[in-house]
Amino acid sequence: MKRSIFVVMLLLSVFIRTGFAEDKELRIFIWSEYMDERKFSADFKKDTGINVKIDVYENNEDMLAKLQAGGVNQYDIIVPSDYIMSTLLAQKLIRPLDQTKIPNLKNVSPQFRNTPYDPGNKYTAPWQWGSVGLMYNKNKVSAEAVKSWSVIFDPSKQAGTFWLMDSVRDTMNLALLYLGYDMNSTKPQEIKKAAEMIIAAKNSRNCRGFKPGVGGKNDVDAGAAAMAIVYNGDAMRAVMNDPKRLGFVIPKEGGEIWVDLMAIPAHAPHVDAAHKWINWILDPKRGAMLSNYNRYATPNQASLPYIIAKDKKLDEIYPGPDTMKRLHFTQDLGSANRLVDEAWTKIKSH
Amino acid sequence: MRNCHPIIKILALFTVWFLYLPLMGVAVCSVNSARDGWVWKGFTLDWYVKLFDNEWILNSALNTLILAVVSTAIATVLGTVLAIGISRFPWGRKTNSFLNMMLNIPVVIPDIIMAGSLVVVFGILREVSSMFDMGMIDMIIGHVTFQIAFVALVVRSRLALIGQDVEEAGRDLFASNWYLMRKVMLPLMMPGIVAGAMLAFTLSLDDFVLSFFLSGPDSQTLPLYIYAAVRRGVTPQIHALSTLIVLVTVVLVVGAERLSKKEVA
Repeated sequence: MKRSIFVVMLLLSVFIRTGFAEDKELRIFIWSEYMDERKFSADFKKDTGINVKIDVYENNEDMLAKLQAGGVNQYDIIVPSDYIMSTLLAQKLIRPLDQTKIPNLKNVSPQFRNTPYDPGNKYTAPWQWGSVGLMYNKNKVSAEAVKSWSVIFDPSKQAGTFWLMDSVRDTMNLALLYLGYDMNSTKPQEIKKAAEMIIAAKNSRNCRGFKPGVGGKNDVDAGAAAMAIVYNGDAMRAVMNDPKRLGFVIPKEGGEIWVDLMAIPAHAPHVDAAHKWINWILDPKRGAMLSNYNRYATPNQASLPYIIAKDKKLDEIYPGPDTMKRLHFTQDLGSANRLVDEAWTKIKSH
Repeated sequence: MRNCHPIIKILALFTVWFLYLPLMGVAVCSVNSARDGWVWKGFTLDWYVKLFDNEWILNSALNTLILAVVSTAIATVLGTVLAIGISRFPWGRKTNSFLNMMLNIPVVIPDIIMAGSLVVVFGILREVSSMFDMGMIDMIIGHVTFQIAFVALVVRSRLALIGQDVEEAGRDLFASNWYLMRKVMLPLMMPGIVAGAMLAFTLSLDDFVLSFFLSGPDSQTLPLYIYAAVRRGVTPQIHALSTLIVLVTVVLVVGAERLSKKEVA
């Protein structure tokens, strides 16, 4: 009798989902070094009483793989980039936002409210936006040399050791731009040429390999490499600490401009807490705190008065009209995604 | 080694050197006070001390330990039972060779294939119950799956060493099965069981691929932490952590080997 009760209890505990602690916890899955994790967790806990747990990733594809493998019912907030939105929507990995719970959406700048990847902010609210460029050590590489991407992609013009970025679209985009093609090209010959060029660069003596996210920036900062393909905010954090030694530039062939968004996975366990987080981030002072820490550009126009005045004048963070002409948005390539994936596999294995 | 051709000796030494030089390099870097590069700046244990301040590392270490201990305990019991079953039951010849092959599969199969198949299995099981969400339970089950084979192999070889004579003598003297197991077989098998357990523990500690695919937000282990940290930029703290893990692994493996060599009295 006792044994059968025990068995029944065991079976029951297997089938009951843990429903309590619904809104006492929030699980965030975000890029590393993207916010002051300790401060924001403590502040959010003080403001709402919700515990924050943070997990980090280094590129969009890692995040997508984790979601597909089961993370879709474990994380409450993810921070995808604009181009991966169509994949997330097609695979039904994110849920629509309840905009009544996010009154601070009105603070968002108009150009981020009706975007081609998410019209009307149905699924996402913008987090930060920025660009992809080249970070370099001024003592080892001249400012003249980094005016062109040839300093990475042309073995005869490489001025020092460098890291390529371990991110499919980011590196392919730059290769296509350097070759003079459309960054979002779907033509097989152009993709093939870009892949071959990246393979040649990767196999050159100066290339140290691929590192995702903040890896390249950390290595240039530590002196382990002379150059790296980086995201502008990461680079500027290091550059502003040591402006005589480090620099960031977007070479003349151009670079990529991107917007990172906050989204809620389809089966998130704490949906209410997730909405609270999004609303909390879109608060004007909080948004400014975020951008002042990670040195990216804020999509929140109500935050602009609180941003460090010097940052607002920097072309590297808030690009002027000339630089904007050189920056292009990444778009989802639809069925041509397969071509780029195959090219990337070839690049990694040759 | 004495009767070997000198070229074979040189090759053997070179292989050992080739295998261990990188590990020694990491160990040297971990006590070097220079933050980056190969320049020797001075001996320091600072990086080891800083390890204990880092919350994420301590958390990961705890998870790794819990995972290793629990999965080793389960796998040792199951593996021992499996070994006894395979070697003491009079299977037919074909069944015997089939069982032998099945036992070897988890040992030979590439980690990533096993990890991929487990992801699919847990995906199906997740439809039934959310207990199988990515996390500690998944990882324990995954680790037990490959550890059983290793434990069973080690215990089986120990059983072959012991031989059936002592058991048969016990049965002749009217010993019951449970008495036989408790007083005769287990004490004789103990070195094999302990060796198998140590091997399983080491494998679980060092496992990366399975943990990578099956871990959830709360269950990051040390190998996963090191992998993520290296992608963000190598600091000497990681050298210190790696050296510690290598030391623990070496101690366990040497211990396992010593125990499994113990002669039958």
